[in-house]
Amino acid sequence: MLVRQILFRPYSLQFPSRRTTCDIAHKKYDVIVVGGGHAGTEAAAAATRVGAETLLITQNIRTIGALSCNPSLGGVGKGHLVREVDSLDGLCGRAGDWAGIHFSILNRSKGPAVWGPRAQLDRDRYRQFIQAELLSTPRLTVLEGSVEELLVSNPNPDHPGQHRVTGVRMVDGGRPVFSSSVVITTGTFLSGSLFMGRTTSPGGRIGDPPSCAGLSHSLRETLGLKTGRLRTGTPPRILKETVQLSLTHTHAPDKQPTPFSFLNKETCCKPEDQLPCYLLYTTPGVERVVMESLHLNTHIQQDTKGPRYCPSIESRVLRFPGRKHQVWLEPEGMTSHLLYPQGLSMTLPPDQQLRLLREIPALQRAEIQTPGYGVQYDFVCPTQLSPSLQVKRVQGLFLAGQINGTTGYEEAAAQGLWAGVNAGRTALRLPPLSLSRTQSYIGVLIDDLVSRGVTEPYRMFTSRAEFRTALRPDNADLRLSPRGFEEIGCVSLRRYREVMRVGDSLNEALTALQSISMSPPRWRERLGTISLSENKSTLVSALELLEYKDITFEMLASAFPDHLSAYLEFSQRLKIEAVYRPHCERQKLEMERIREEESLSLPQDIDYFSLPVSLSQEVREVLDRVRPHTLGAATRLQGMTPAAVVHLLNYVRKTERETEEQTYTKAS
Amino acid sequence: MFTFMSGALRRRLIIQGLRVNPVKKWFSNNLCDSDTIFALSSGHGRCGVAVVRVSGPASALALRSLAGLTHSRTVPRTAVLRNITDPRSQELLDKGLVLWFPGPHSFTGEDSVEFHIHGGSAVIRGVLQALGSLPGVRPAEAGEFTRRAFYAGKLGLTEVEGLGDLIHAETEAQRRQALRQMAGELGQLYSNWSQRLTRCLAHVEAFIDFSEDELIEDGVLNQVDSSVSQLQKELERHLRDGRRGERLRGGVQVVIAGATNAGKSSLLNMLCQRPVAIVSPVAGTTRDVVETALDIGGFPVLLSDTAGLRDTPDIVEREGVRRARERVEQADLTLVVVDSTHLPRDLLGVPSFLMGQLRTVLHSAEAQEAALRGCLLVLNKSDLLAGQQVERIQKVLSQTEGLPTACLLSCQTGDGLDDFLVVFQKQVKTLCGDPLSGDPSLTQARHRAHLQNCVQALAQYHHYRDLDLALAAEGLRLALTNLGRITGKVGAEEILDIIFRDFCIGK
Repeated sequence: MLVRQILFRPYSLQFPSRRTTCDIAHKKYDVIVVGGGHAGTEAAAAATRVGAETLLITQNIRTIGALSCNPSLGGVGKGHLVREVDSLDGLCGRAGDWAGIHFSILNRSKGPAVWGPRAQLDRDRYRQFIQAELLSTPRLTVLEGSVEELLVSNPNPDHPGQHRVTGVRMVDGGRPVFSSSVVITTGTFLSGSLFMGRTTSPGGRIGDPPSCAGLSHSLRETLGLKTGRLRTGTPPRILKETVQLSLTHTHAPDKQPTPFSFLNKETCCKPEDQLPCYLLYTTPGVERVVMESLHLNTHIQQDTKGPRYCPSIESRVLRFPGRKHQVWLEPEGMTSHLLYPQGLSMTLPPDQQLRLLREIPALQRAEIQTPGYGVQYDFVCPTQLSPSLQVKRVQGLFLAGQINGTTGYEEAAAQGLWAGVNAGRTALRLPPLSLSRTQSYIGVLIDDLVSRGVTEPYRMFTSRAEFRTALRPDNADLRLSPRGFEEIGCVSLRRYREVMRVGDSLNEALTALQSISMSPPRWRERLGTISLSENKSTLVSALELLEYKDITFEMLASAFPDHLSAYLEFSQRLKIEAVYRPHCERQKLEMERIREEESLSLPQDIDYFSLPVSLSQEVREVLDRVRPHTLGAATRLQGMTPAAVVHLLNYVRKTERETEEQTYTKAS
Repeated sequence: MFTFMSGALRRRLIIQGLRVNPVKKWFSNNLCDSDTIFALSSGHGRCGVAVVRVSGPASALALRSLAGLTHSRTVPRTAVLRNITDPRSQELLDKGLVLWFPGPHSFTGEDSVEFHIHGGSAVIRGVLQALGSLPGVRPAEAGEFTRRAFYAGKLGLTEVEGLGDLIHAETEAQRRQALRQMAGELGQLYSNWSQRLTRCLAHVEAFIDFSEDELIEDGVLNQVDSSVSQLQKELERHLRDGRRGERLRGGVQVVIAGATNAGKSSLLNMLCQRPVAIVSPVAGTTRDVVETALDIGGFPVLLSDTAGLRDTPDIVEREGVRRARERVEQADLTLVVVDSTHLPRDLLGVPSFLMGQLRTVLHSAEAQEAALRGCLLVLNKSDLLAGQQVERIQKVLSQTEGLPTACLLSCQTGDGLDDFLVVFQKQVKTLCGDPLSGDPSLTQARHRAHLQNCVQALAQYHHYRDLDLALAAEGLRLALTNLGRITGKVGAEEILDIIFRDFCIGK
């Protein structure tokens, strides 16, 4: 409710008074969320949406919703995730619409399936929106403090698992706080250390205290979870007034901003108020500074896995020497005096960072406000999670975000939302749910994580989705919101009614388009010169015509106003649908097959080594190590053979029948 | 319907029952029809009649195109004698019986057609190729008929139990067959195409996922355009040239393998009844693979003698050993020859000694049931054993379980040869009953269908190149999937590996 008020009155953001926290020790929550970043905030909000009484614990209330690295949201693949999170009533899409100061659709020329909605954000406004939203959410309490350890007890014997989470113990005074589920979203803070030059200090983000070692200890020692180590980095922030912008290429935003959220018709920022970005290139001097200061650079010398696609300037220079590299200067806010140099993340000593920047003509007089630094942190190998993001061996414990080895706000938000939904459902004794990779990028993300694991920070790419032409940013609402309301319970009635209206209208419009059918010469009479294949005898429907490049829905609507003008609101969506429909239909069968396999669950407590079916030792070992949740996940494992899949299928079928018979016997 | 299916269906019905959901309706409109598949379903070898089965929605099309029959006017499940013609050239392929099984009253539950034709390989190949040329019709994957029958609920419980093994056997047979073809020039050609196509796709994916803010120039796409055109040309030329491909090795592939000087070449010579291979008491006499075509009990057999397996510093012999192992890998049946004078004196140790020999020959830790099923043990040089010893060994062997059938014989004197031939013939006969083993034309038909799909998919790339790059990329993905059916799957991670190797991605 608050959101709409805010959107209508953008500059009257009021902070509701903070909740008192003195009674917390005596209260039992349904869900506790640890961490207030992109994953944590979505998790807390989603848990409350499914009806769970939720507590969000953060080290610092003021950093809830902070953008720790780049001041932007969305992009190719990532924009898909934002749209999907929004379709499940998550926060980040609406926050982006409220805080965006430069909107553009990436890949505009490459086909709607890979369009990437993206925005530069005002850091302060983004944080304000998220905080206002959370602090006014019913059933949600926010507590400032650090968690010392996880509280666990014996497992519920009716479910698989070796432990059951019962809450957390706080650092100060050691108060326990009890809950049915816990979601941990501590990002890079798990045994995090910061690197700059040759100095190293513990921490997960500059300016914040390190989270206590207790939580790492709980996860690793008490629960025995396997962890790995990854690294990432962030660039120095530059004072805008010291940059010679005249020496850069100005990059303008879209003239008409496209909102992320399906609920918003427009963004907060007026089109003409948007700020530009600036493009510049590295010089041979940059490469020289990197090479000369390698011995002062501890972070880059270590072989912890960093991302290949968001490398520091050091690794770019080392891997592709002798080239010029792009650097984007991005605004940090409407009134901010800082610029964020995308592409220049570095871990040199501060004086060398300045030296490096000044090798670029536009930055000759640049001054640094905060130097860049690297972070190395622990992640929990995500193959230990189920598709609901629950730790397999610990009932009620969920993990989301960078702790699972991913990178990026959008990836974190998507996992946070899904972990929050399932933490809430588990607390309310509802069965956990999973999302199919045939239906969403969130499903692709989670399936990749839990069934394949990570070797470098995982980022979403459209090439990871095998059904890319069906999973488009334009139809995320139709794909997810109905299920979000009917089955998952995390979508508001308002959004549900809207998506139903949209779905009905699109259906009607498609039927109307299909019903108009004429021969090519008659189409030419109506629409003027259009390039149609010359076969005069076949009838072409308006829907088929809409597949052609130069035909727009508006043209058809003006030719048949009685039939079509009612749907002009959806002209873009109808055009996209007409082009992609034939392909998506061809993929339907394959999607059905995958969905069928995904719906066949494999019990988590199977002893694969003694399973009385014919499986090779190798396959048994793979199955035992990964413990796939569904037959679908099992088929994607390396080393699985068609025969092994059939044997497993047969086994599942038998067990299902036996269970049903037992239930029947009990009932009668 | 099986319970595992009904669970999912039930759930779907419940959801739909709540409310007629326009969105779901919108997504589930027009469920596209499944592919139509065909396969030679009769045994291979010397047979009078071959049965080719077709199953799926385009069965009626096959009935009309090849036999000139309209399904609505054809009496179901009744044999009709028809001319069978190639729909492309109207050339008469054969005269045979045609049966029409409208679904659901068929083996797979789908519309099906059976063509009972003459067993000659030219006729079979002609009919298979004619079917493959029909739109929406493709050769069946291993076990696909059975799987469809299974999903349609047409298999009884006991049949279902055996399904896994059946599919295993069929995939194994296809894998061996494909390996044989892949080992040569053809294989190199296919994997070269696959590599080039993977790179093209990776570059398009890089352009899609990164180019906006990166230094990936449009030039990348122009390179892809020309590579794709070049690939298209090569594939088309190859398809036109189909008959001039590699000589296809027909028949059951039997390989003689074992340690040096066990008498492998003597066995070959004895089976051929002429000196095909040089035999000598010197270990390592045979260095290359010696191949002979034979007729065993009326079935075509290609018998290969291989170099003795041992570690050797001799480069030529080492290559021979490598080739020997390759042959064993591709074989339908392996005759593992053991020098019986090397058997341990303590007869209790014989089974484990033989197991060790088998492991060495099969060259894998997983000398497992499946692999062992494709083996016969030949214990040679029985003439050098004392009389009692022969009987004792035979007694031990008959009491041991888990070993392949073993025959004690002497290539020198011919003792035990008749018994061996009986066992050998039986094995060959069983193998020929499997419609997939040793029929290269079927593998060839599969390859052809996949290559044809690949060419079509590449055309999709060009069609959409300027309209919609996502759909153009879809064409390359489809092309790669089809090539992958021949050469092995390519996953998203390999694509990303190429992207990061070839481009500096900074965002």
